[in-house]
Amino acid sequence: MIKENILQEIAKVNEKYTEELKKIIDKIPENKKENFTMSGIKLKPIFTPEDTANMNFSDDLSTPGQYPYTRSSHPAGYLSRLSNPFNMRQVTGIGTAEETNKRWKYLFSQGARAISVVGAPTAWGPDVDHECTLGFAGKDSLAADTFADMETLFDGIDLRKISVHLISGSTITLAMYIAIAQKQGIEPKDLRGSMSNSLRPDRDCIEIIEYCHKNMPLFHSGYIDVRNVREAGCTAAQEIAFGCAMGMAAVETAAEKGIDVDEIAPRISWFVNSCPDFFEEIAKFRAMRKVWAKTMKQRCKAKNPRSWQWRAHCQTYAPTLTAQQPFNNIIRSTIYALPAIIGGVQSLHVNSFDETLACPTEFSVQISLKTMQIIAHETGITSVIDPMGGSYYIEWLTKKLEEEAESLIDTINSKGGAFDAWKWMQEEVRKEAAKNQKELDLGEKILVGVNAFSEEEDLQTQAFETLQDHAPFEALYDYDPSIRDKQIKRLNKIRMERDNEKVEKAKKLLFDTFKSNENAIPNLIEAVQTNITQGEIWKIRTEAEGREHDLGMYMLG
Amino acid sequence: MEVQIRFLLSRDDELHRRGYYVVAQALKDTGAEIILGECQTPREIAKTALDEDVNIIGYRIMQGAPKVLVPLLIERMQENKIEDIPIVLGGIIPKRDIPFLKEYGVKEIFHPHTPVAHIQQNIMKIASDYRN
Repeated sequence: MIKENILQEIAKVNEKYTEELKKIIDKIPENKKENFTMSGIKLKPIFTPEDTANMNFSDDLSTPGQYPYTRSSHPAGYLSRLSNPFNMRQVTGIGTAEETNKRWKYLFSQGARAISVVGAPTAWGPDVDHECTLGFAGKDSLAADTFADMETLFDGIDLRKISVHLISGSTITLAMYIAIAQKQGIEPKDLRGSMSNSLRPDRDCIEIIEYCHKNMPLFHSGYIDVRNVREAGCTAAQEIAFGCAMGMAAVETAAEKGIDVDEIAPRISWFVNSCPDFFEEIAKFRAMRKVWAKTMKQRCKAKNPRSWQWRAHCQTYAPTLTAQQPFNNIIRSTIYALPAIIGGVQSLHVNSFDETLACPTEFSVQISLKTMQIIAHETGITSVIDPMGGSYYIEWLTKKLEEEAESLIDTINSKGGAFDAWKWMQEEVRKEAAKNQKELDLGEKILVGVNAFSEEEDLQTQAFETLQDHAPFEALYDYDPSIRDKQIKRLNKIRMERDNEKVEKAKKLLFDTFKSNENAIPNLIEAVQTNITQGEIWKIRTEAEGREHDLGMYMLG
Repeated sequence: MEVQIRFLLSRDDELHRRGYYVVAQALKDTGAEIILGECQTPREIAKTALDEDVNIIGYRIMQGAPKVLVPLLIERMQENKIEDIPIVLGGIIPKRDIPFLKEYGVKEIFHPHTPVAHIQQNIMKIASDYRN
């Protein structure tokens, strides 16, 4: 990119500088001489034009919205939607449908326009009156059993205006969402949204993709969750590579069902992490876009540019959030949110500072939302597309991560692809987590307030407890076991009042559907509206299929 | 006498398990036998503890309410007549629940960012005290 004679000149200047620098560095103690990124990439003290000399403008960078999308998936980045540059999407699910609906409305009153719902009926377990929900119902996710609960949950929420993500990979959750939309007068073909349908060789996953491909062209039906893999310990390059490998494996599985890559890939969205290493994360998002584009175009032979474009929801890193000095977590999560926005994600959840202690309250979740609003509207970060592009360090690191990720994808492919290499990937992730723990225990990595700069009497905890005792709002969430009793009462009332003849018919229909190979979603949309409970569906399904669902099987990390 | 530690490690949710595997590996490194219960209900934990003849139970609680789950676990252990097996907890345990849980007989509670060496030493001591 740079003319040869200029490069020579720079090399000459750098040589002199390097000598000077060496004299200073030689005096630094041995263990502080070398620096690494969070993922272990060895750094140099400074990066110069020489480090980006091999870059090729059109292959490596190009313009925003152009292959390989290093700078942005969209030609205008955030510019076309400056009043709401990215979706500020907090995960919400608390108490029963009533409490969660109230929390959503509070968030919307504060300017949010997107949500992720956790704990909708999934049909992957019994109803709330089973003993296994003791101590769980409504604690860290919403307790809901029927379509009536979903109606309460979405009461007053206009699905045309609010961007909804369902944290579920089950056909029944999708069926309920479709039925809710139809009640609002929105047909499946016009319905937007996304769900955590992690790409995996399993009935629900394939049926969701198949159904949406035919009926819901605007819905993001495929999901690559590497955010939780990163939480579990993997590196930045692994986050990229494991995600791409999962995408490739899904494309292959879909092909067996007669679905072309260009039919599935444009409807895949990513779930990614944003971690403490500021610059590495910016480079990671850039490299992720590029490697995904190359994977889809070159390895999967996709022809539609929409298949090459990376779309992502991001949630900030949590393993470094501390119970000690809890307000430090506000600072941490703010810092972690910045590379996500500089890196150009489409949607973001900023962890609340109390998530290491309990489920977030209105108070703490409000701070998360305000963090995003301040970044979006007060800092100017969203005014320029890919603002760090061209930095010698960022460009060098983007390339480095790209190369590492590509080589990891080759390794996974040599093991037969993501689904066959699952165990190997899992071991890699756990190895990294153990290494990371060791560094913390040995004090090689500092966590403020934990293994350094800690105090006997934790001032922040004292302040927090005072707030909890004296503020006119809930400062720290306290689980109320009576939530379960409330939901049981509600469930019993629904069981009494529903048309049980219709429910019996629905049961028969679902049994036959699950027994056959036909896509269950159309019949589920009909069935759920009788207020058949998720526990009833779970029982029928287990009988019909002769096995229980193993939720953990396709979880990495 | 050296006691062979048989440690059942279970947790309350399916998805989040980084700390769970870090602790499992760290204890394996000390020579303990680790029985991975993975995600289990209190009833399942009590059954595995009995079947596997363990001398210590580790329960990682994050999504559930410890004040509900621990009494449930102890109840199930009583039914199996193994209520004397020591229990240690890890995960997100509210500070204000600690006196209640300790009174209920929980031997130790490990909070996030507890150094692994501390967990190793404590668990070895608790398991040895129980067997001797």
